[in-house]
Amino acid sequence: MSRSYPTEIARKRGRIVTAVAAVRASGLVKRFETTVAVDRVDLTVQEGEVRGLLGPNGAGKTTLLRLLFGLVAPDEGEIELFGRPLGSSDQVNLDGVAGFVEEPTFYPYLPGRVNLELYAELDGGTDAGRVEEVLELVDLSGRGGDRVSGYSTGMRQRLGIAAALLRSPRLLLLDEPTSGLDPAGARDMGRLVRRLASEGTAVLLSSHLIGDLETVCDSFTVLRLGKVVWNGTAVQLRDQAPGSAYRLATSDDARALEIAEQHPQIHATRSQSGEIRLAVQGRVDAYVLDLGRADVAVRRLELVVSPLESMFFALTTDVEPDSRMLTELAEAALAGT
Amino acid sequence: MSATHAVRPGEAVPGPRARSHGDVWHVYRAERRKLSTQLATRLLALFCVLGPFAFAGVLKIQSGSPADTLFGVWVHQSGFALSLVVLSFCGAWGFPVLAGVLCGDIFASEDRYGTWKMVLTRSSTRRDVFAGKLLAAVTFSVGLLVLLAVSSLVAGLLLVGDGALVDLGGRTLSTGHSLLLVLAAWLLNLLPMLAFTSLAVLLSIATRNGIVGVVGPALIALVMQLLLLVGSGVWLHLLLASSAFQDWYALFTTHPFFGPLIVACIVSLIWIVVSLGGAWLLIRRRDYAGTTVSRRPGWVVPVRVAVGSAALVAFLAIASNWGPAGDTAAKLKASIDPSFNNLTILQQRELGRTVARGAKLTVLPSCSRRAATPTGPGDWICTLDVFIPQPGAEPFQQTPVTYDVSVQSNGCYKAESPPSFVGQQTMKDASGNSVVNPLFVIYGCFNPL
Repeated sequence: MSRSYPTEIARKRGRIVTAVAAVRASGLVKRFETTVAVDRVDLTVQEGEVRGLLGPNGAGKTTLLRLLFGLVAPDEGEIELFGRPLGSSDQVNLDGVAGFVEEPTFYPYLPGRVNLELYAELDGGTDAGRVEEVLELVDLSGRGGDRVSGYSTGMRQRLGIAAALLRSPRLLLLDEPTSGLDPAGARDMGRLVRRLASEGTAVLLSSHLIGDLETVCDSFTVLRLGKVVWNGTAVQLRDQAPGSAYRLATSDDARALEIAEQHPQIHATRSQSGEIRLAVQGRVDAYVLDLGRADVAVRRLELVVSPLESMFFALTTDVEPDSRMLTELAEAALAGT
Repeated sequence: MSATHAVRPGEAVPGPRARSHGDVWHVYRAERRKLSTQLATRLLALFCVLGPFAFAGVLKIQSGSPADTLFGVWVHQSGFALSLVVLSFCGAWGFPVLAGVLCGDIFASEDRYGTWKMVLTRSSTRRDVFAGKLLAAVTFSVGLLVLLAVSSLVAGLLLVGDGALVDLGGRTLSTGHSLLLVLAAWLLNLLPMLAFTSLAVLLSIATRNGIVGVVGPALIALVMQLLLLVGSGVWLHLLLASSAFQDWYALFTTHPFFGPLIVACIVSLIWIVVSLGGAWLLIRRRDYAGTTVSRRPGWVVPVRVAVGSAALVAFLAIASNWGPAGDTAAKLKASIDPSFNNLTILQQRELGRTVARGAKLTVLPSCSRRAATPTGPGDWICTLDVFIPQPGAEPFQQTPVTYDVSVQSNGCYKAESPPSFVGQQTMKDASGNSVVNPLFVIYGCFNPL
């Protein structure tokens, strides 16, 4: 299901160019006592690809990342990074791999810059210029001399990304990378990931919020209760989505509701606040054109639930993916829950 | 990560590269930097440098001496004795505490800060990380021991002087000989120090708790010290890592014996191998699963550990009687007799009396233990009947001198006699200077094996 990426992309930064996948995991199983955290998971990430690893809390995303990092050993299954086996726990080969699981962690009594220098030392050492470069990249150069204990969650997150970038990775594994970042920081993070991917870096991002990854990822793997429930490209995910939900305000809401009844792919309802909610399967364009023809002015048409969000919800819950689900999702999204 | 070569499409990149010592070296450098920035490490280093000077300074302004410790009465007379007293203190408590504070948190701190997942996802393997951290721990342990050795020697020589050291057989050693023996004594503490460092590393890894790692070695040393006080058998005492801190005394006897020293080295190595082997197995097999793995909360584990430890200590206390008795009346008599002879001659010479070279007292010693069991460490009493030649019908005058002797399981003892028999702790020599009365306290050691 994964898209194949041309080796030219990876060639751009003069990297080792291969036709093998950056990540190839097959039949992974990890149990913790009686809980099966990861259940026969297959995963492939190509070089230059940004893959989103989606799932609600407890779906097994973090455990899967820990398996890929060699932090936990699989009970079953195989992992290959760039075509080479990951290796046993004492000989895990993470050359070219960087990132973090859960929140990035540091020695709080040391300044951010020293933390980076220590992590760089574990990679064989690096020059001070590279440390400054990555600090600049994550907008922390002014605070590099401060102890990490004084950093906010967002600053730690950015420092974690800097620690990962220190290695100029060919494979970047990031767990909830936008957690703790403000909207501008999250946007910058997305741009950075896209830039790295365009240079050939394979990126695997995990999140329980599809909105964080929607504009960044080329492909998605959705986990639920440790199992892969969907795997494919962003286009395929949109195509297979049960629909989307909009918030609509017009010059004549009653007329707009009447017109909606003529469009079988649209289910329109009034919310308790009096606004119109549209649950749409497919496109909303024809309906909007009809409103115009009927002299109903569209004052506001806001996408509240994207196709990817609805798909994610449908895949990770037992709720029937119909217009009612979309409407409820829209209400929940607008209520901020 | 820039390319230096291209791999053809379809071809896998090279497999795991051969690990080199360079990786360990980088971990070592990082760990060394971390340790050297920590306040505890800096304070310990400062303590090791200044502690002996402070000790020597305090002794300088008072007349008392740590007479309970071997060589303690000589600290006002010889700088070498001061270094040996510091070494005795360290062997009992200092080295286990240093090892714990320095190395007990070296692995557990990664658990506390949650940084294992960052450390283990860099280029270094678990093996590199383990070896690098261990190397840093060893470097700092050895470094502190060397600091203490140098500092105590310099403090002794500067503040007390290079006065002659009287060994455990009552002989006066030359300055060069004293220096050599003192350095050798410090060197012999290296292996047991590393044994406690390894133990601290094991506790740090096994419990993932810095407090246990820091306090654990000192507590274990305390238990070992207590076990050394009970039982009369030699086997268990020899196997305790703490006893290895005390075997340097053998170098200072009239006829040095090396059996206990060799055993101490072997025992220390066993402790090192077992501790580090266990620590490595734990690190190697551990899953770094964060909060995914539920850890059993509450008091169950601590209670189990406490009960298990108590049972183990009780068992060891019983086991302390296994093996032949190391402390016997015959060995004590054979040791105290020549020491008394040598020290008496030393005393007479210091008082300005002429004693012929090779002169020997006629002494009939008898020793017995002040307990139901006739052998083993504890309180003993030795009576030395000195036969002094005199003219007349009875050619010898018998003068009994009684010493209360405190014997340790390692064969070392301290013998004290009431001042009415042997005089005060200090006396005036022929020049009118106040010097140590050699007979006031007799320190000695015999081979317990």
